[in-house]
Amino acid sequence: MTTLSELSDNAAAGTAQRAGEPDTEPDSPGTEPGTETADEPRTAVPAAAAAPVLAVRGVHISDQVTDREIVHGVSFELTPGKTVGIVGESGSGKTLTCRATLGILPPHFEVSAGSIEIAGTDIATLTPQQWTALRGATISAVFQDPASYLNPSIRVGAQIAEVIRVKKGLKRREARHRAVELLQAVQLRDPELVYGQYTHELSGGMLQRVLIAAAIAADPQILIADEATTALDVTVQAEILDLLAELRQQAGLALVVVSHDLAVVAQLCDEVLVMREGEVVEQGTTSEVLHHPRHEYTRLLIAEHDQYGLEKFLAPLTPLTPQETS
Amino acid sequence: MTTTAEQAPPARRRGVVGTRVRHTLGRLLVTLARSVAIFVPVFLVATFVTFALRSMSGLSPARIQLGEEATPEAIARVEAQWGLDRPFLVQYWDWFTGVLHGQLGTSWTNGADISTLIGLGLGVSLSVATFALIIGVVLGFTLGTLAALKRTTWIDRAITGFVTLISVMPAFVVGIVLVAVFAVGLHLFPSAGYIPAEQGFGPWLAHITLPALALSFDVVADVARQLRGSLVAAFRENYVTGAVVRGLSPRRIFLGHVLRNGIGPALATLGLKFPALVGASVVTEWIFGLQGFGRFANDSAQAGDVPAVQGVLVVSIVLVVLFNLIVNLVLARVTPASQRGV
Amino acid sequence: MVRRVLTLTSGRIAVVILAAIALLAVFGPLLAPQNPLATSDNTLAAASGSHWLGTDYLGRDTFSRLLDGSRVSVLGSLEVALMALVVGAIPGILSVYLGRTFEWLTLRLADTLVALPFLLFAVAVIALLGNGITQAMLVTGALVSPLFYRVARAATLAVARSPYVEAALIAGASTGWIVRRHVWVKVLPPIAVALAQTIGVGFIIVSSLTFLGIGVQPPAPTWGGLLASDLGYLSYQPWAPLAPAVLIMITVWAGNLLADAIRDVSGEAGRAFVNTRKARANRLGKPDPVSTGGA
Repeated sequence: MTTLSELSDNAAAGTAQRAGEPDTEPDSPGTEPGTETADEPRTAVPAAAAAPVLAVRGVHISDQVTDREIVHGVSFELTPGKTVGIVGESGSGKTLTCRATLGILPPHFEVSAGSIEIAGTDIATLTPQQWTALRGATISAVFQDPASYLNPSIRVGAQIAEVIRVKKGLKRREARHRAVELLQAVQLRDPELVYGQYTHELSGGMLQRVLIAAAIAADPQILIADEATTALDVTVQAEILDLLAELRQQAGLALVVVSHDLAVVAQLCDEVLVMREGEVVEQGTTSEVLHHPRHEYTRLLIAEHDQYGLEKFLAPLTPLTPQETS
Repeated sequence: MTTTAEQAPPARRRGVVGTRVRHTLGRLLVTLARSVAIFVPVFLVATFVTFALRSMSGLSPARIQLGEEATPEAIARVEAQWGLDRPFLVQYWDWFTGVLHGQLGTSWTNGADISTLIGLGLGVSLSVATFALIIGVVLGFTLGTLAALKRTTWIDRAITGFVTLISVMPAFVVGIVLVAVFAVGLHLFPSAGYIPAEQGFGPWLAHITLPALALSFDVVADVARQLRGSLVAAFRENYVTGAVVRGLSPRRIFLGHVLRNGIGPALATLGLKFPALVGASVVTEWIFGLQGFGRFANDSAQAGDVPAVQGVLVVSIVLVVLFNLIVNLVLARVTPASQRGV
Repeated sequence: MVRRVLTLTSGRIAVVILAAIALLAVFGPLLAPQNPLATSDNTLAAASGSHWLGTDYLGRDTFSRLLDGSRVSVLGSLEVALMALVVGAIPGILSVYLGRTFEWLTLRLADTLVALPFLLFAVAVIALLGNGITQAMLVTGALVSPLFYRVARAATLAVARSPYVEAALIAGASTGWIVRRHVWVKVLPPIAVALAQTIGVGFIIVSSLTFLGIGVQPPAPTWGGLLASDLGYLSYQPWAPLAPAVLIMITVWAGNLLADAIRDVSGEAGRAFVNTRKARANRLGKPDPVSTGGA
């Protein structure tokens, strides 16, 4: 088990490594899906894409029932291949922010101020048809409790194939083929078998992989992972995080990772937002936030991790003492 | 199917497909077995209760044939002729095996074969009931779907209001209103009677339209309400959000995901509604002067003709059981997950 | 719960109508201006000052017959509902506790009763067992009872197996306290809903039976019976069925309305329902919110 600071260093190293990568892969993103091969299903984004694919500017969200503001201004920008993490306890407004980005705020909630731009388009101007075209193909998401986000009475493979058929215009048979490839790409051991199964026949970790496969089926640029690893046990959680990192690297996905667990965010993200009661209390690069937390709440989060993490018990066996790790 | 297999060897692929076919067949058989397991006790209990009616009522063919002033000896003689002096369970067993062979016994009042008598009325009743079901399903599904799609708008409220209105109208009230308006008032339809389909489709349809409409109101109301409810509930499910996020159009989400999961309860309602439909035929056939199965039940019951009443009840139970079997099979086909308790 | 039902407009309407109908049942026969059984030569008369709703084919005053018939009709449906409550709810609750044999037996019985075409059965059984109002109500009550059986059983099951009851048991709460604090709260609302529904359903059944002339002796008036006698004279008095039909429908509607109101104010659904109303009220006069998606 590594400490948070080590994780952030890993993330930084990963970023540095990725920075040079796009030049070696000349293919442009999302063009002619049919030409993609099985070995390398996804293509990387060129470095030139410096413009943000997702820009959230001072977003406020209010509840229409109580007439109360829940989120008081969130801003961040996301460029291809980058990852933004949002940390906070439940009720801090992180999920609402994500939902606003996806245009799926629950009933009675609305964006009361600020703007959200996806690939240069202000979402306030989108018609329902444009939203439909945008979702899946440009922005997509995976959630906690993956079983409930898949239709229980349709085979999971068919649900992935459906996305491919609709969003990419592939024929039934090709779509099936591609869906199996995707299932393989998310490292499911027996993709053919999984294709024909129902949600209740699969474990939580497998379902999250299926959900990720469905989310990236139409080659989106942005993937939002809202507590995507929360309900999974620790080893599976680590595997899913690795998978997300790999997808980001291969496909140039821009990730938004939402979690209540600082460790999850630290492992993946370039930039971190710490939210509390609808307020962004801390924002900065991952190493900055972890090493030099300015806000008391962030310090508390980090301290709790050090206090209750496994490191404390492993400490006597390692050269590091608890004092050194903090 | 097998031509696209590149990673998986064809043999293995075929294995997966074969398993799936066997899976489907197996599921069908399991559904069938489970339905039969439920309906066999139902049938046994129902026939037993039905048969026990005679002992409980204390009615006897002797009273009907001999009148009130018969001597006890004469009554005993007639009852022995009908085999009513034997132990109750022996009588039940005899009658039950007869029922399994399609023999419902003979009428106390005129000695006619009850199976034949019921067969005569069944055509009328089934024509009306089937037509009522068709009206109920088509109208109920249309209204329920429309209300769910336009939920919380005035269309939804109008449909809900209409459905509420027709749900509080008992079949006999609807029947009377229909007769008053369409038969007596506007002379559009005949007010009573029946013409078999062989003597002309038009007249047949004209004669069963009003009774079928009267019967269908209840079905329309229940199906529409149930469908609206379950569709609205399905719309709130996470998998709908999931499909939205994957960029599927509202139309596709509705047809492919919501309807598929929401249709089950409405179909189940149809299965539950069918007994009421058969039951209400007593009233509609009385209003519209149809010599059907419900009328036969009513007349036999009022005349104290116990075997005839038992026969009608058994046939009605068989009809209900058969209909529910079909509904269960359709349900298993539409929502495979429901069969496994998910 | 009663107070919360009364905060809803629909709840108030339902209670007012049902109370009015109940008053009608109690005092109706006393208020009848004329003898409901007295025939006269003035047959099939139109509505007038002396006969507010006209007269029937024997010259009897329709308004008096309507008032006089209300008691049988209303009491009948109440009897059905109470009978069904007793026959259904008690085995329903007990089925959770009395062991598998009892559970299996009652479940099969409930299945059977649901599968019976019950109007047909009611007609047959009542006609064979003797044509009396008490038999009629007992039989229909028994036939409707599976509704209560299921509702009571489901609610009891949900409570009995819920973690919070287990937690209370572990915390050392007495059975009596658990029943008062947890079981009652969960079992009572669905049973109240079922009861209100059954008043409506029972009303339809009772009037259907009386319409067929089953359960009452002919000269005694009932709402269903009035409709039946009107049927033969539709060409002379097409409007005659209106009054009894409307009364029957309003009663059934009020029963359903009450059931919905109780369901609306109890439990989770109740809160969501109130929220929606508040949000709608809040949103009035405000611009449309940013699109909340394609759903």
